[in-house]
Amino acid sequence: MIHVQNRELVVPGQLIAEGGYSIREGAFREGDRIYASVVGLTDLHGQDIRIIPLQGRYIPKRGDAVIGVVIDTHYSGWILDLNSPYVGNLFVSDLLQRKVDLLREDISMYLGMGDVVMAKVKDVNELMRVQLEASEAGMGKVTGGKLVELVPTKIPRVIGKKGSMIAAIQNASGCRIKVGQNGRIMIWGDDPRMVNAVVEALLMIEREAHTSGLTDRVRLTLEKIKSEGGT
Amino acid sequence: MEKPEKLIIDGKRLDGRLPDELRPLKIQAGVLKRADGSAYVELGENKVLAAVYGPREMHPRHLQQPDTAVLRCRYNMAPFSVEERKRPGPDRRSVEISKVTREAIEPVVFLELYPRSAIDVFIEILQADAGTRTTGITAASVALADAGVPMRDLVSAVAVGKVDETIVLDLNKQEDNWGTSDMPIALMPRKKLITLLQMDGHFTPEEFKQALALAFKGCEQIYEAQKQALRERYSIKSEGE
Amino acid sequence: MYEIVSKVKRDYIVDLARQEKRIDARVLDQYREVSIETGLVKPAQGSALVKLGSTQVLAGVKIERAEPYPDTPNSGVLMVNAELLPLASPTFEPGRPDENAIELARVVDRGVRESGAIDLDKLAIKPGEEVWAVFVDIHMLDHDGNLIDASALAAIAALWHMKMEGIEDWTLPEFPILKKPIAVTIAKINGKLMVDPCLDEENVMDARITITTTEDGSICAMQKGGIGYFTPEELEAAYEMARSRAVELRKHVG
Repeated sequence: MIHVQNRELVVPGQLIAEGGYSIREGAFREGDRIYASVVGLTDLHGQDIRIIPLQGRYIPKRGDAVIGVVIDTHYSGWILDLNSPYVGNLFVSDLLQRKVDLLREDISMYLGMGDVVMAKVKDVNELMRVQLEASEAGMGKVTGGKLVELVPTKIPRVIGKKGSMIAAIQNASGCRIKVGQNGRIMIWGDDPRMVNAVVEALLMIEREAHTSGLTDRVRLTLEKIKSEGGT
Repeated sequence: MEKPEKLIIDGKRLDGRLPDELRPLKIQAGVLKRADGSAYVELGENKVLAAVYGPREMHPRHLQQPDTAVLRCRYNMAPFSVEERKRPGPDRRSVEISKVTREAIEPVVFLELYPRSAIDVFIEILQADAGTRTTGITAASVALADAGVPMRDLVSAVAVGKVDETIVLDLNKQEDNWGTSDMPIALMPRKKLITLLQMDGHFTPEEFKQALALAFKGCEQIYEAQKQALRERYSIKSEGE
Repeated sequence: MYEIVSKVKRDYIVDLARQEKRIDARVLDQYREVSIETGLVKPAQGSALVKLGSTQVLAGVKIERAEPYPDTPNSGVLMVNAELLPLASPTFEPGRPDENAIELARVVDRGVRESGAIDLDKLAIKPGEEVWAVFVDIHMLDHDGNLIDASALAAIAALWHMKMEGIEDWTLPEFPILKKPIAVTIAKINGKLMVDPCLDEENVMDARITITTTEDGSICAMQKGGIGYFTPEELEAAYEMARSRAVELRKHVG
């Protein structure tokens, strides 16, 4: 028996359901009852119960695409800040996809402090030690562009179903966008006005993630700004 | 301040309240930009600000716990929060309150979800008027929820006591100074589990039971206000607006 | 604890500066939105909450009886203390005031003291034995850049709204406050000077200069911070910016 509506705002300790439902996120079970553990929106599908948190830090998961910032170097690689309680380790061999003779090569020519890096989470162990890799196409150090940070729980909305939202933003603005699951987003564009418009669109998505028709509103807003650009 | 002859006259307390009435309560969530979560609470003339940072990297590293987050609490009073200026910095009272505050909140937080990390709770008393530690716990609990830290329940706290042989809820400053007993309590309201209990003064076992029941009533009201503050913070505008 | 600034963000801000633009679309001599609320802390004789953009600072002023300093036996005592509360920023740690907190307190102190804003000579109770001590405690609540200006503003606003009722033996008709010194901090990024640096700008700037002026434009305190440098021409330009911005900010003190 479910005690809440779909898309209802719930608070920690609030009774969500009684019975054998499956908890996906944001809730816990005490005996026969299921309670919310975070402030969030209910997302109920059949037997699945998910509370989408409205706030919260990013916790790295294997396979996630992330955007990190180099904060430390060591003999064979770098430590990246991931906008998370946990940092990521990137070995130079996971950046270059080849064995590196550390006695001969100076790895500082590849990445330095403060560099922004597109990477993927290769592995996370029980002690939350995070290994990153960045050898695929489109990964590695990024330059230029603008870096934006959103609440990580809103990222799925920024991507949209099958990438529909991100495609709409790119098409309507003419900018190139890369999204990290850790809440960071890189924007590149020739027209600084459109780059700022994309930032505005992303903030709009963050605010209105729970509403419907958002993809269309975002596309229309961007197209309007683009057409006001003049010659 | 001189001791008043009577603290309860004709069934009413010196500030006009009945024995089972809370002082005016106001709670706002999400009042700071930098902190991951925050809350501001006014209870009577108490003005308390709480902020949460975390989960975040734990320094110093040798204090990290391999399988759980470490919860750290700091209760601090501003020098201008009390009549006689308090020198800045932790005194023995603040250190004790920081400890019991942490122990009041720890049972509700799912610390095991964030190994090796720290969750830091900071409570600042901007204006003090008796009951700062319980107001601090109430604020800290909202700040944790505001930060998205998973919890089993909120924690609600209030002080009860005995003045002029009457059990009263939410002691004001005079009652705190001149009353017979003072008992701050914190609860997980859903299951009525007590996570903070301190007492000084004198209670018979009967009086203690009465006081506990009154505290539960007070905490229920505070719980509603906490939940309301969180709902308002994230209140959803109607679709299409 | 450190503040991480990615190269991407740093380059972005530095490039904007070259075009005399700022990351939050302000112009170079523009302050963020300012609001001041006074009298919110009752145990304090004076208090003020300043919001400068998202930066929030609370100052409380309390008066106590104290012994005078030996070299000024007939003058009141002024003490300014600043706390970079850990709740204001992930980079602030609990503990004794560090060099940043101490510098901030001393810069605000200089502004108030050197301008003669408080008529300390009126604060003697028993000359040579007992005087009034003015304690200004400044608490940072939310750090989004330019804590110095917000703190100085909070301190002077609190001092201009003192309520002395309830202080035993206070004989003066009102608190002897005479002037409104205003601190203006200017950051240098990529050779450009801009007032009221927000947090991102502070993390990227080469250096900053704080100039405190009084109503007639005279300078009562200055402080350069950061590892960069200023040329004499830049300082002249900075003074002009500081003086004119101070006129605007002063109106908020009320």
